[in-house]
Amino acid sequence: MRSPARTALAEGWPVLLTSVVVGATYGVVARQAGLSVFEASTSSFIVFAGASQFAMLELLKGGANSLEIALAIALINARHALMAAALRPFLSRAPLVKRLGLGYILTDEAFALGIGWFRRERREISYYVTFGIGLWACWNVSTIAGAVLGASFDRPERFGVDFAITAVFVAIVATSARHRADLAIALAAAVVAAALRLAGASTLAVVIAGAAAPLLALRGRR
Amino acid sequence: MTFWIAIALGGLATYLLRTLPLAITVRGTAPAPLRAYLDALPIAIIAALAGAGIAVPDGGPTGGAEVVAGAVAFALAAWRRNLLLAMLGGVVVVAALRAVGF
Repeated sequence: MRSPARTALAEGWPVLLTSVVVGATYGVVARQAGLSVFEASTSSFIVFAGASQFAMLELLKGGANSLEIALAIALINARHALMAAALRPFLSRAPLVKRLGLGYILTDEAFALGIGWFRRERREISYYVTFGIGLWACWNVSTIAGAVLGASFDRPERFGVDFAITAVFVAIVATSARHRADLAIALAAAVVAAALRLAGASTLAVVIAGAAAPLLALRGRR
Repeated sequence: MTFWIAIALGGLATYLLRTLPLAITVRGTAPAPLRAYLDALPIAIIAALAGAGIAVPDGGPTGGAEVVAGAVAFALAAWRRNLLLAMLGGVVVVAALRAVGF
């Protein structure tokens, strides 16, 4: 029988491969948004959460202040608190110091694979640790690769490079929507945000409009 | 400086959100509406940023190129589930349309 660590890699490699592509994309787009290679890779190291990092780039470009950007990052990553709570029964055997590290490598992907493992009545934490560290390594190495290889353009609008972040947002929505309700919420948020922006609202107003959109959906469900 | 403060605070918030539920004991589970809200929150914020970026790409309102390119990026991502491909497709389409005067 394969060890839990090897099983994690055998089951998780397509996800790891995807993270390399997204991480490299982040590195390229971060350079285009004006970050240095060091800043791009440090942000992947410290924040380690893809969608919120792309949002940070857009807010930086839009001239948002640091508190607004931190708020947006926290809102986008708030879901991880629920994932950590769901993993707690399976990870609570680990000593506190180790749990502080287990939280750092908690991503959507690590949660999905980890919870799938524990639901098979398996108890080994090494499955979660192996996949989580693997994803962390893939994300950080590919960020650096993308940032180093991604050239900075002179007049970006001529080559459409300024559109890269927006295209990535569209792609994140397309790939992360799991059902119609998700798409309806996304469409509502996009339309309201577009209208606000056309009316001259700040990027923070756009983030707040996005954060309010799911509330309307919840009201409608009742 | 904005960048460093933003990632220090944003990174700390992210770390605490991921770690506190593992480090401290919390009784009970989050109510269903809160879970549903937090579940939909990322896609809604990302979609809002996408909508804003399409409507006002670079200071002025879109001439239509970004709308078309956004649709192309969406279709590519939904079809191949590949972010890099979708980004490149969107960038190429927007550059082509701008070149012909959109």
